[in-house]
Amino acid sequence: MSVAAATETGQDPIILRVEKLTKHYGSTAALRDVSLGIRRGTIHGLLGENGAGKTTLVGIISGQRTPTSGSIYLDGQPIVNVDVKAMEKAGVFLVTQEPMIIDHITAAENLMLGIWPSSGGFVNWRKLKADAARMLQDTGIDPQSLAGKLDAVARRKLNILRAMFSGGKVIILDEPTAALTVEDRAQLFTFMKELKAQGVTFIFISHYNDEILEICDACSVLRDGALAGGTEDVGNLTSEQLSELVLGRGLVLFQRERRTYNEQRPAVRIRDVRGDGINVSALDLRPGEIVGFTGLPGAGAKELARMIFGLMPVRSGTIALGDSPVQPLPAAPRDAFDMGIAFLSDDRRRDGLVAQMTIGENISLSSLSAVARSGFLKPEAEKVLSDRYFKAMGIKASGPATVVDTLSGGNQQKVCLGRVLATGPRLLMLDEPTRGIDIGVKQDVLRIIDELSLTGVCVIIVSTDTDEIVRAVDRVCIFEAGAIREELSGDEITSERLRQGAKVTAGA
Amino acid sequence: MSQTSATAAKPAAAPNSQDHGPSILGWILHNVVWIWLIALVVLFGMFNEYFFTTFNLQNIMVQATVLGMIGLAVALPLLVAEIDLSLPANLGFSSAIGAMAYSDLGLPWFLAMLIGVGVATLIGLFNGICITKLKMVSLIQTLSMMIILQGALLALTQGRTITNLPQGYVWIGQATIGGWPIMPVIFVVALIGMAILLKNTVLGRSIYAVGGNAVASNSAGIRVDRIKIITYTLAGALAGVAGFLLASWQMAITSNQGSSYLLYAIAAPIIGGVSVFGGRGNVVGVLGGVLLLTVIQVGLAIIAVPSFYVGIIGGVMIFIAVAIDAIRVRYFG
Ligand SMILES: Nc1ncnc2c1ncn2[C@@H]1O[C@H](COP(=O)(O)OP(=O)(O)OP(=O)(O)O)[C@@H](O)[C@H]1O
Ligand SMILES: [Mg+2]
Repeated sequence: MSVAAATETGQDPIILRVEKLTKHYGSTAALRDVSLGIRRGTIHGLLGENGAGKTTLVGIISGQRTPTSGSIYLDGQPIVNVDVKAMEKAGVFLVTQEPMIIDHITAAENLMLGIWPSSGGFVNWRKLKADAARMLQDTGIDPQSLAGKLDAVARRKLNILRAMFSGGKVIILDEPTAALTVEDRAQLFTFMKELKAQGVTFIFISHYNDEILEICDACSVLRDGALAGGTEDVGNLTSEQLSELVLGRGLVLFQRERRTYNEQRPAVRIRDVRGDGINVSALDLRPGEIVGFTGLPGAGAKELARMIFGLMPVRSGTIALGDSPVQPLPAAPRDAFDMGIAFLSDDRRRDGLVAQMTIGENISLSSLSAVARSGFLKPEAEKVLSDRYFKAMGIKASGPATVVDTLSGGNQQKVCLGRVLATGPRLLMLDEPTRGIDIGVKQDVLRIIDELSLTGVCVIIVSTDTDEIVRAVDRVCIFEAGAIREELSGDEITSERLRQGAKVTAGA
Repeated sequence: MSQTSATAAKPAAAPNSQDHGPSILGWILHNVVWIWLIALVVLFGMFNEYFFTTFNLQNIMVQATVLGMIGLAVALPLLVAEIDLSLPANLGFSSAIGAMAYSDLGLPWFLAMLIGVGVATLIGLFNGICITKLKMVSLIQTLSMMIILQGALLALTQGRTITNLPQGYVWIGQATIGGWPIMPVIFVVALIGMAILLKNTVLGRSIYAVGGNAVASNSAGIRVDRIKIITYTLAGALAGVAGFLLASWQMAITSNQGSSYLLYAIAAPIIGGVSVFGGRGNVVGVLGGVLLLTVIQVGLAIIAVPSFYVGIIGGVMIFIAVAIDAIRVRYFG
């Protein structure tokens, strides 16, 4: 670092520096000799494919994990043997990739966890409540509601807000936007820019090129645990160049050949779904059709999918699949699977995975009867099934016998997806299927779904990712107040129309 | 200025394997129960040669049988992240019912024994239903069931010890082949049966899944309530068989039969690595925990530790086993 580069205040322009950082998990190297510096008062993007080591790196910086070797300097001072608490005290806050929420305490208490206002060892509850209420105004989250009752978006917001209001000087956000709506994201970015103007430094992890281009000043790319490049000037890059920087190769974006299905008889007929604010009188899907569900949280897109799967109770509602007779909606997920309906939840840690089981055991979990005879598992059959989806999903791990807990976030998402696909459904419903998946694999996933639809499987994709919807679906249902407000198909499906749709909904 | 300038470094070499130090330590910690067991056997043997006699080995096997059966029973609800404290009380109560079906109703001993086991199974089923369908907290529900069953046993026996057990009934507890007791065979059968159940069946896999993450299991199409009810029912049945074996072996049913097993029955699976948070553990571990506790009990009796100290020494030994296990979980998951 040259002295000339120092600012007039005499501060080192590099607020955070890591040198030759290496992290081994057993025999796998998650990080190898990574050295980089983060400039004070910038937003620094950290990019890389699933399993590249991003979470591991920020985990070490924030004191959550210990490096095998290497050193970290904050404000030029070396940091040794610290934990999260000490780093937070030093002003480094991490918003982890997976929500860190305690379910049985209130939103306000979660927000203030570890940073609660106190005097003489006693928590100042009045101030805590007032502060929390101030932070949560405009967010639509009730400070007094139990955190366990909140949806994925709200839970995510709690973690982000905690860091943003912490007064920290380095705030690390590990895929913060993965569970946010377009509006929330815009709000977060405005907030980040405000704090940046006040001198706060950010490390920002995301798989979305547009986000990196919009908000980051500089970026670094990790590949297989090693630093693979970066730039001090993100502004000069195009999205294509960014993809190439991340992947080390050009990227062909997937685009489904949209189909229209006027004459065909529907393969799925859903009627009169009512209950808990949802009111949908009719929804038909043609064989092989892919329909996108979108809308603000609580507008009903997610809820309808969960009701069709038997995860949320309904007052009424029927479904007819193919030539099967009209049936009431399934009462439980098991019934849904038996009918040929599969669903992937958007909250993989809570609702998708058994973390301490292996990849293979997770993949076969919803298809156990298919790999068993009279209650006894057939190991070969199970292995064939899990190997197949392990390969198909391109999961980055040494094999299906790896414990899921040790996988990177994106690879865990692929395991969930593999489990759902392995059931061989007739109606496949995916809630944010590519959340947390890197841009390369995202195209693969959209392609797999596309190919599946060509075999006649009907697909519903619930998503707030407009780009994904534009690329993957034949038709879009925009939800509002528990009903389908508008349907778009063919050339009507554009990012602009979808964003507009969301705004109109927001204004209504 | 910093390494973040626009460069495109080549991906580094493939991950090289690390030193094997941690994995040896990991192996030791994973098998700590067995290592501790062997160490204690050697230790007790050094204090008193009698410890290595065939007779003592047989004694340990018999003692381990009842604890083993009840330990397996306790492990089941633990695996689905619940607990059943009423199992030892269920053991005593159900055996008394069986005995009274013989003495008061005049039923043949075999039928009476089946009635006892059946009652134990139904109590397990009832616990399971309370915990799933009525959403009662298992710790409190089974605690109250324990008190109810202990009280019921006292009321049934009127404080007296039942000793008029028929020949057929006590046969299994007394019979020997070539001098070796046959009762442990039942434990071995149960052990193998449960190992197969947990490892090779859909039910076993579902039990681990539910214990690991009940919400995700439900979404994955597992009927969580049903799985929990089945584990409680199976646990009840195992407690029933354990009750029959204990009565058959002791040729008596006291008015607080089984109660003394409470702590050991819960400690054995946990020492053997069954997680109280569910989803982790196997029968080999339970066996290790059972043998360890039995060796401690028998060993302390043999080396004639004054009875005032048996409690504290045994307690410290269990404490060490649990502490080592905690260290293992901390560092190796
Ligand atoms: N606790 C662990 N034990 C073993 N391996 C681990 C552990 N945590 C991470 N790894 C491995 O380290 C590598 C890097 O993981 P990391 O979570 O840092 O990736 P990431 O870049 O954040 O990916 P993603 O975009 O999917 O979140 C992966 O190969 C992962 O399997
Ligand atoms: Mg990550």
